[in-house]
Amino acid sequence: MACSRLQAFVALLVAAAVTSQLAAVEPIRLTHDGRMKFTPVFINGGEDLVFVEIQDPRMYRLQRLQLADGEVEPVHKTVSAQEFDPAYSADGKYYAYLKAVGTLSVGMVISSRKQTDEVQLAPGQGFSGYRNPAISPDSSLVLFSFAEGGRQDIFSVDIKGKNRTALTGGKGINLWPNFSADGRQVAFCSTRDGNFELYLMKPDGSEITRITENPFQDLRPRFSPDGKRLAFVSHRDGNFEIYLVNTDGSNLQRVTEHEERDDYPAWDPDGKSLVIVSEREGEHDLYRLEVPPYQASGPGVPASRP
Amino acid sequence: MSQLGEAAVQDRNGVSPRAKSVLFVFLWGAPSHLDTCDPKPDAPAEYRGPFASIPTRTPGVHFTEMLPRMASRSDRYTLLRNHVTSAPGHPDAGTVALSGFEENPKPVQPNFGSIVAKHRGSTGRLPAFMSIANGTVMDGARKIEAYGGGTLGSVYDPFMVGCSERGEVNIPALKLLEDINPLRISDRRQLQQKLESVPRALDAQDVASWNRTSRQAYQLLTDPRSRDAFDLTLESPATRARYGRSVFGQSALLSRRLVEAGVPYIQLNYARHVEAITPGFEFGWDTHIYNFELLQDQHCPILDRAFTALLDDLYERGLMDDTLVICMGEFGRTPKINARAARDHWPQCYYSIWAGAGIEPGRVIGMSDARGEHPISDPVTPLMVGTTIAELAGVDTQARAEMRVLQEGSVIDGLL
Repeated sequence: MACSRLQAFVALLVAAAVTSQLAAVEPIRLTHDGRMKFTPVFINGGEDLVFVEIQDPRMYRLQRLQLADGEVEPVHKTVSAQEFDPAYSADGKYYAYLKAVGTLSVGMVISSRKQTDEVQLAPGQGFSGYRNPAISPDSSLVLFSFAEGGRQDIFSVDIKGKNRTALTGGKGINLWPNFSADGRQVAFCSTRDGNFELYLMKPDGSEITRITENPFQDLRPRFSPDGKRLAFVSHRDGNFEIYLVNTDGSNLQRVTEHEERDDYPAWDPDGKSLVIVSEREGEHDLYRLEVPPYQASGPGVPASRP
Repeated sequence: MSQLGEAAVQDRNGVSPRAKSVLFVFLWGAPSHLDTCDPKPDAPAEYRGPFASIPTRTPGVHFTEMLPRMASRSDRYTLLRNHVTSAPGHPDAGTVALSGFEENPKPVQPNFGSIVAKHRGSTGRLPAFMSIANGTVMDGARKIEAYGGGTLGSVYDPFMVGCSERGEVNIPALKLLEDINPLRISDRRQLQQKLESVPRALDAQDVASWNRTSRQAYQLLTDPRSRDAFDLTLESPATRARYGRSVFGQSALLSRRLVEAGVPYIQLNYARHVEAITPGFEFGWDTHIYNFELLQDQHCPILDRAFTALLDDLYERGLMDDTLVICMGEFGRTPKINARAARDHWPQCYYSIWAGAGIEPGRVIGMSDARGEHPISDPVTPLMVGTTIAELAGVDTQARAEMRVLQEGSVIDGLL
């Protein structure tokens, strides 16, 4: 088993070296404070970014970056606990995020952007927490990940936090749901077949289809604005790098190549670039990365392997 | 930097110990052994977790993909995979991990660092036992009982130092009197006069506390060479970057400076609190929820970078010959994934990493079973850890008996 994994590791290093030749555009640094950051999301039609930052050893905080002037300010002026995993609706009306409410206890907040209509979903008894909210483009559904009974499923609720429905069938750990722009598909990751791989499903949990197959982790899929491909993170070359893959599993391309970490891709609404979190010289900042245009087929290797 | 304590590092027979400095890297909160240094790729899915295993530099030994740099340095340390402890909860297991004994029956036994500090005595300008964290290490509102001197007395408590992700060093003892800051008072006589006046302004209990900690803090900082040990701006930007701009990364760099300055025992804490995510608390390794996400997002990348930078730096500076580095938590985590798709406490099996002080590197001592539930070789206890540390630091059987510490402890078989 260990030997076959080593062979797979070497083979994937070679494959990754081939695919890495496809993109060589130097990323542009957008923030400069170097603090650890996670999960950027575009809002306001691409004018701003919201991301999570470790402000001190005790605090995750939601921050908003205005791309026009580089100004960074907190989303919430005052906070008393860690806030993270932000999600925004495409129509700009709603947002959701997670908030620590006790010892290893994390609730979810769904709110109108004007904060006039807020729902707080309490975690379960004891140690418990939500993860990864995602709001459908028409603001009718909020998807999220939640662990119970030894599994971590993706669930949906309506925008009022009602009508909770399990979507992913109770197999493995399921994380990072992400809607396509037309709302017809959801990308997510699951360990149902062993380790984290990329999958697609309908918003009602039907038609689950596997996209990648690799002995190392494939994480955090994000639909391109045209819905034709996914940006994601993979550990297949030995550290965290950003990849693109068509939604049919073809045309796998690595778009970052650095010995330090590249993670948390977010598509610019124009579909031409990603904003990612990169670690460079030990500092974590947001970078903008141009990506090659979509190709129905290309020199990349298939994401699915026999 | 000069070796401030070098002259005193000899035992009663004039023999230098193998470890002039001990650096105990405490992964407080307890990392999952299966998801870091003891993966079980052939175990059932509900045990092995989602991380792949990768080869290390040690033939036949694998880590998870979350620790690629540590895997590539396995020829620089020895790994023990057969630890057990007696306590299932953090505060008590913390006490056992740091002293070798449970909280009860009282009295609480001393931290390994306090034993080394008492044996070495005053080794120079810097305290003999220093603990790096942003405060006393805690589980919730409760501190680890064996954080300090125990039966040896509070005089052997650690001198506390904190560090930010920017490398700004924080000494809590200096907060007692905000208007006296040696970093701002260049005239030593003026500072000394102010220090002499302080006890008159305090009640009796505060005077005792002042004499034990704050006076020591102010006085050591009046000495430029001592003060330099805390000044990370004296490091090159490349060196500071190498450790990563995290609290743990810069704290690890500070620990290397303290080793370089000759401090006999340094406890480098990964975080002040065990809790992985709780309002007002630092992010520790207690991943009852979010185990796989937190290891992937935060803990493993931070540890992987900082710990390998620390080892590399110590080797490159020629410090590893007489420095002992140990890295471990207080227990392991449940091999079987819990109801919240994470892992709970598991005192029955965990691991440690040992480097330097003449320990032959590149080995694995001890094995766990196919699911990581129990050792299948003779188990190693925290008392054995403390006894081995003491032995390497020059606290021999007779010295331990005279101090009445680590009684009935034995050295880890095959390590030395």
